Amino acid sequence: MSAQLPPQVKRVIDEALRKVDWQGFDKEKVNAIINELLGKLDSVQVHFIEDCVGCAACAPACPYYPVSEEYGPVEKAEHVRHMYRKEATILGKLLGPLLNAKKPSKPEHLDKLVELVYRCTNCGACYVSCPFGIDSGALIRGFLAPLVSKAGRLPAVLAIFEAMERTGVYMDIPAFQQIWRDVNAKIDQALGKPVPRDRKGAEYLLFLDLSDAMFYPGAVVGAAKILDRAGLDWTLPSSPLGFRPPIGAVVGFSDSTKQVLKQIDDYVESIGAKYLVVLDGGFVYPWLRWQMPKVLGKKLSYRVLHITELVVELLKQGRIKLKPTNDAVTWHDPCQLARRSGVTKEPVEALRAASKGFRLLPHHGAESYCCGGGGGIGCLSLHMIEMMAKMIGVDMSVMISSEKEKEFLVKTQEAWSIAVKRKIDDIKKSKAKIVVTACPVCMHSIEGGAKLYGLDIEVKHFAEYIAERLA
Amino acid sequence: MVSYLGGSPSDIYSFAVYYFFWIALAIFIGGSVYRVTKLALFWRRVVKAERRRRGAGAVTIGLIRTFLDPIIFSAKKKPHDFLAGLVALHILGVLPLIFLLAHHVAYFAYWFHPYWLVAKWGLWIPLSVTTSTLEITAPIYPASTHFTNTIWGPLVVILNGDVLAILAMLGVAFKIGMKIIEQAQGLQHVRWSDYFSLCLLMFILLTGYAAARHHAPLVGETADVVTYRTLLGLHILGAEILLALIPFSKFWHFVFGYWYGKLHEWYDLRVQKGLV
Repeated sequence: MSAQLPPQVKRVIDEALRKVDWQGFDKEKVNAIINELLGKLDSVQVHFIEDCVGCAACAPACPYYPVSEEYGPVEKAEHVRHMYRKEATILGKLLGPLLNAKKPSKPEHLDKLVELVYRCTNCGACYVSCPFGIDSGALIRGFLAPLVSKAGRLPAVLAIFEAMERTGVYMDIPAFQQIWRDVNAKIDQALGKPVPRDRKGAEYLLFLDLSDAMFYPGAVVGAAKILDRAGLDWTLPSSPLGFRPPIGAVVGFSDSTKQVLKQIDDYVESIGAKYLVVLDGGFVYPWLRWQMPKVLGKKLSYRVLHITELVVELLKQGRIKLKPTNDAVTWHDPCQLARRSGVTKEPVEALRAASKGFRLLPHHGAESYCCGGGGGIGCLSLHMIEMMAKMIGVDMSVMISSEKEKEFLVKTQEAWSIAVKRKIDDIKKSKAKIVVTACPVCMHSIEGGAKLYGLDIEVKHFAEYIAERLA
Repeated sequence: MVSYLGGSPSDIYSFAVYYFFWIALAIFIGGSVYRVTKLALFWRRVVKAERRRRGAGAVTIGLIRTFLDPIIFSAKKKPHDFLAGLVALHILGVLPLIFLLAHHVAYFAYWFHPYWLVAKWGLWIPLSVTTSTLEITAPIYPASTHFTNTIWGPLVVILNGDVLAILAMLGVAFKIGMKIIEQAQGLQHVRWSDYFSLCLLMFILLTGYAAARHHAPLVGETADVVTYRTLLGLHILGAEILLALIPFSKFWHFVFGYWYGKLHEWYDLRVQKGLV
């Protein structure tokens, strides 16, 4: 580890890496985690577990099914059923393997489970294609992910970022401070005035995290322009409200998730905003919009709006106007924004107003194809890990804990390169030249996939694209 | 006691019709209460986010799409499974056979009189395209004259017990074959109970088919009364075993899992989150 690293950052990274174990297998610990997770099941999850008939109708919906049949949703979720039968049913206890009732009992089992977890983006395509309304993704990400993470099969990069976000030390890293400073300077420069940060009583609060600033600074500036042009009473935070919160949810750490969401909720309440405007249509939006009340056990005192929802409302009210172009532009639905959150109409409505050349993708809305990068998979590319290691100021050996983990990462990247193809083919069919979306992982995944399969397109965040067309 | 119930329990037909029916029904009711109660006990009160309002039209279309989309998806992506599993086995196979085959209508109406309306309205399906009466296998009351005319007209060429049973058996055979292939590939979601459930279904279909045609499948001759009663008894017994197993098997989807699952999905995605 670098000697330049601030001691508090070093301490947090050390703490995070102590949770990572790609070799061992502690049977008692695994059993305890399984029992803890089974104890938290609710009636809907029990339906997901018990009512699957094994028809595998969901399989072709999954972006990872073309990689291998064993990555079909029913296949992955079946491992949860194995454990449920073993621990929670009388027949399973009595007849065991005869009823496929079993638990992980050796290191290889955990290795297989972690592989399956990172072949699921939690895109929800299995949910809407299942004849019985079974959300296999919810089981994979809600049960298997915490199981493998708590048992140590946790990609080091995710462990580090989860810990840094929870403790807030990521902002002690000079490169991250610089990214934040740069984007803030650009906002003030674009608006030609300093925007008051953390202004109490503002009606609209632009939610910003470090990933917004890092992956699409143009969209952050664009959103500021939109809010300003509409003449809204708005503010933005002086510090990022997380790295990309809640990262704990991606790896299945519920305590961390709750802690991070509480920090955000406390901050928004301290401002007293009526609307929280979110740019990230990846997992950040559904966690703020749908999960936060559940996790914190309280109704929110503000409404969470995605920027696409706000723009449509502002267009309807005539508070902003667009200069339409003829761009061959299309919209990629981030799964977390569309299938998982119901925002499908708004971006299309706004983009139709922005370009006469707008066209839908052949598969859009509820049937949209996933880009294959969600669920933390996008962060596991060696290129991304290398970039993060450089920014933090640590060696790659810190970000990848062992050769075994490296093999897992390489295999995951290979699987992604197959999974993304379906999306790229869909974009090809649309003949679009610009793909607009609203999730950093989708942007990264589609850009990477387009390069891989020789498609010449530009990928832009919705807020940036709309801001460029403000009249 | 024995004469009151209508026969000796050592005779498989009498046992199935007059004795085991009640046992199967009791297990089915008890099991169903257990499954639903269990689900209710797992219910947790949570604070829900404010729902997205889309209007009644969108919510109604959402309800239709929730049920329809997986069918369309399956037809596009897994046409073989769609044709064999859904069309042959479910839509043309077991569903009309169970609820509309003339013999079943008469049987259900015997236990549950309002079901006689299915016969009265001519919704019943005859045993074969050449036999539009209920034949001698009809149980008692009411008179079988209601069965002489169905509303299906020329559709009876397909909508008859013979054709539908063959389609259903082909569907079951396809599913068993698929399960064997999937298991050979090492796929995890194949369960031994799948084979049991499908074989039980095949057993019911085969015995029902043989009994309805008064046929002894092993000797290839017209069955005598004893063989016929045995075949029909086995058919009814198989169906009763299935009834008893419903709450404890994949057949649960038929009475609860499917309906609960789709309605929950509709509420979650279309009503609460406003997916259109």
